[in-house]
Parts: sequence; C-alpha cells; structure tokens
Amino acid sequence: MSYVTIEQVTKGYDNQLVLNNISLTLKKGEFATLLGQSGCGKSTLLRSIAGLEDVDVGRILIDGKDITDLSPRQREVGMVFQSYALFPNMNVFDNIAYGLKMKKVKNLKSKVNNMIDMVDLIGKEESYPHQLSGGQQQRVALARALVMEPKVLLLDEPLSALDAKIRKSLQKELKRIQKELDITTIFVTHDQEEAMTMSDRIFVMNKGQVVQSGSPSEIYTSPVNTFVAKFIGNYNVCNMEVFRKLVRTTELKGNEVAIRPEVLQLVSVGEDSLDLQGNWEIKGFVKDVSMAGNVLRYEVETEECAFHVDYLHHRGEMFEQGARVQILVPKKECIML
Amino acid sequence: MKSSLTFHKLFVGLLVIYLLIPLVGTLLFSIAGKWDHTILPESYTLKWYIELFQDERFYDAFRRTLFLIVISVGLSVVIMLPTIFIITVYFSKWEGLLQAAAMLPYGVPPIVGAVGLIKLYSAGPIQIAGTPWILIGAYFITILPFMYQGIRNSLRTLNAVQLVDAAELLGATKFQAFRTVVFPNIISGILVSTLLSVSLLFSEFAFANLLVGGRFETLQIYLSDKLNSSGHLTSAIVITYYSMILLLTGTVLKLTFRNKRNPVGSK
Repeated sequence: MSYVTIEQVTKGYDNQLVLNNISLTLKKGEFATLLGQSGCGKSTLLRSIAGLEDVDVGRILIDGKDITDLSPRQREVGMVFQSYALFPNMNVFDNIAYGLKMKKVKNLKSKVNNMIDMVDLIGKEESYPHQLSGGQQQRVALARALVMEPKVLLLDEPLSALDAKIRKSLQKELKRIQKELDITTIFVTHDQEEAMTMSDRIFVMNKGQVVQSGSPSEIYTSPVNTFVAKFIGNYNVCNMEVFRKLVRTTELKGNEVAIRPEVLQLVSVGEDSLDLQGNWEIKGFVKDVSMAGNVLRYEVETEECAFHVDYLHHRGEMFEQGARVQILVPKKECIML
Repeated sequence: MKSSLTFHKLFVGLLVIYLLIPLVGTLLFSIAGKWDHTILPESYTLKWYIELFQDERFYDAFRRTLFLIVISVGLSVVIMLPTIFIITVYFSKWEGLLQAAAMLPYGVPPIVGAVGLIKLYSAGPIQIAGTPWILIGAYFITILPFMYQGIRNSLRTLNAVQLVDAAELLGATKFQAFRTVVFPNIISGILVSTLLSVSLLFSEFAFANLLVGGRFETLQIYLSDKLNSSGHLTSAIVITYYSMILLLTGTVLKLTFRNKRNPVGSK
C-alpha cells in the first residue's frame, strides 16, 4: 500500500513544462531521493508536495488523503530548506517550538527539549541562528520540521551548503534519525553519491520527468538510458558502431554501449598470460592520469574514442602517462542502450 | 598598515568637522550676544531661546508640524508596509511597477507638484486645497521613496519569501507568519525609513508654503517668517528642532533595541 502517491502531476511556467506528467509512489518509512541536474524539476515537485507551488494537473495523496488543494499548513508535511530558513529573531528553542506554538500544543517544552537532544544541540538552546555553524543550523531546521511529527519529511538539498566532512557526518545522522522515527522522507539532491549513500529508492529526473526509479544498486548497475548512465556513474558511453569496430565483432545490438569505469582492466601491451575469456581487448595509450583520493582515474585513448578506467589507488601499480596498454572489457558488464 | 589607518582616521575626522561646522556655527550664533568682528562671539546669552520658548506661535507651529508628520508617516507605514510585503512575497512580477511609482516623486519638482495639486483639489468633489489634508497627501508621496526602499531592502535581505514559506509549513497563517517572523526582523528597516521621513518632513518648506502657507503655520513657515526679524532667533529655532529630532531618534532607537536579547554563546 503506497503512503505517498503522485498522480500524473503536470506544471508549467510561461508555456514551458517543468513537471511533465509525473507519477510515483512511496511506501511508509521509505527514504526516497529525487535526483537530477539543476532545472530538472525536482525542487518544483518537492514544493508542490509541500503546497508551496500549485500543480496544473494531477493529484497528490498522502496516507490516502488528497492534499492537492490544501494549503501548506494543512498538509502535515515538514520541510528543510536549502538555506534552512531559520527565523533570525528567535533562538534555537523558539525556532524549534514555533510550529508547536502555532498549533497551541501543550507540554511544548519537553517535546522541544527531546528534539534538541535528538539532534545533539543541548547547550545551544539560547543561541540565535547567526551564532551557529552551518551544520548546527541544519540540525535546528531538521528539528523544527521533525518536532511537528509530519507525515512526510521533505528535504530540499539541505546539505549542499556544508563542507565535505560535515556533510558526510550529517548524511549518516540524517539517515539515523529517519530510521529511528520511521518517517517517510523525500530528499532532493543533484549529487549522485549522496543519493546512493542515503536512499532506499532513487527517482532520477530529467526535463520534468522521472526517467528511472529503483534502488541505488539497480540505478547504478542498470541504467536505462544514456542520460542516467552518464549522470549516475560516470559511465563510458560509446557509440555502438564505433565499439563494434574496436572489439572487432558484429554481434552487438543497440545504439550505444555503457561500461562502468571500475570494471575495466588495464594491462601492458605484450604482457603474457592474458585471459581473454569473457573479455574484449582494446589497444590504446594512457593519455592522462588523475587521482581522486583513493581512486586513480586513467584516460585511455584508443583508435576511435577515449575510455575512463578507475582503479583503487594501490601503491606501485601506476601506468605512466603515454604508456601503451590494453583495456580488458568484460562482456557481461557491457550495457546495451 | 599604520599609515593607511591614520589616513582613514584623518579623512573621517575632516568629514566630521566639515559636517559639524555649520551646526556648531548655528549653535554659537543662537547663543551669541555680540558677534561682529571676532572669530568667536564676544558675549553669550540665552535670550533668543527665552524669547522663542515664550512665543505661543512657536508651540502651535511645532504641534501642527508634529501632527502632519505623525499622520503622514503613520499612514505611509500602515499602507506601504503590507503593500510592499504582499508585492515582494506574492506578486513579485509587479515589483518593477511599484518601484517606478515609488520613485516618481523624484521626477516632479515640488513647485510643479504643488501647482498641480492646488488646481486639482480646489474644485470638484474633493476640495481640500489650503487645508492640512492636502499637505498630508503630498507628504505621503514625498516620503514614498524612503519608505519603499527601506522596507523592500529589509525584506530582500531577510529572504522573506522563504521565511513565510517555512512559517506556513509549520502551521502559521499568512498574517501570523508576517507578524511573528517577518515584522520583527524588518523593524529596524522600518524604523530607519520612518526616521528619515520624519527628518525630511520636519525641514520641508516648499509644499507647506505653497499648499497651505500661513493658514496652517508649520515650523518651517514660522522659521521663514522669523528669518526676516532676527538671525539669532532663527538659529535658536533650528537648534531647537535639531535637538528635538535627535531626542526623538534617540528615544525610538533606545526603545526598539532595549528589549533585544543579548547574544548568548559564541560561534
């Protein structure tokens, strides 16, 4: 039984469709991510669920209730904004208590204190937003949304303004709190790594449409089209005609082939005991080597096109720039698009 | 580094002296007994102030000016604050139009404006020419640019749109969002606009003279009248209303920021 249902939602601005007939469903307690490039419509969809944007066509249901025409305050959703939107005139306690005060909730103090404890902000109750770090402000924004016990939590790129280290630790914390409260969460990001780390399910969006949905593993290992392949995993996407020529075969079908950079292997030209069973072999030379921490990325130029090959950074296993190499392409890892 | 700082200090010092000299000169002249051929007055006296404070006309003019200012500025805040808020947050595409309308007073010289207003309001259904009401209307328009810029800039700096969104999602109505979140954060902007408007209207002469003149004597008209009788007395008037404005500004600022809680903890 789906808990959140988006039914054929369409929205446009100035004759341009921002959301194009989007339908999706979420289960209760699920952590879903809307992933896509800037301008793909992911934030508009989130704001439509929150009631901050009207939809032109379609319905939005939460827990079986049609909320399409309800005002934001009636929807029982919580939202954390990209810039947190904390109230500058209120301290941490008052920011978190704001929604409860509006609802005239009793025992407000204990609820707020519990939430402050949960987001690890004890001792900061009297501080004002400008006295907090970005990470602390993000926690206040999260606590402010969660204390209302919303049916759905909406997160609009809440980690994008933070530095890498704090971002990683908050990703874990966010996931922990989400699991602890079993709250259905919709997270918006353009960062595929963040989406993979946090989500139970990912909806990849492009030009106002959901182009693929599935678990992080499904999305990563089985992209349905070139856009997803390139956006999700830095896939090597090669024209099929060119690829057939490179591997000297006529069997392959499709328009393009996508191959993950980490499944490719490099060996020196002339190296013995090559096991070509199950692999194709393409000759080339190392055009460039770059290092991204624990990963070494080789750009290997072949007769027809360039391939990226990712290696874990082991000491003493580097190919020099200009080295002549052979790329081993595992046949079963090639995805025909 | 040190020399550049000295230069800055010197520059600011010169600017302060430049701005203060006319005021100090006026103050000295208002308390000068005999001052003909010396750098500083030869004798000092408070007789100009005594004469001023014994004149009923001065108090009446002051009261009238205060009445005009309170009504005009109050009306402007009551009308412009919600208008600017609604346009900025909900109808941002109309912002350009509002901005153009707010800047219009700069394009119309007071004399042209006054002649037009007298013509328009001396006949027809609204005959208010020569009454203080026409002056209140003219003052409302005069201070429009200050009110508009001050309030709009405060709303922009605050990112009011997102704060209202956040408050609404937390269960607030639009009015509650404005009252509890937006208003407390733009109060200093409103205050600055209000004080600028008050200072401007205190020294406004053109509209007051052309639209109502002696029929509703304001402080500036009183000052202009006294200019012909004694320079010492007019200096005393100027210093008095400067002091009034200073007192008013100081009190409002103190009252506004008195309840602001002290920062707690550090970053």
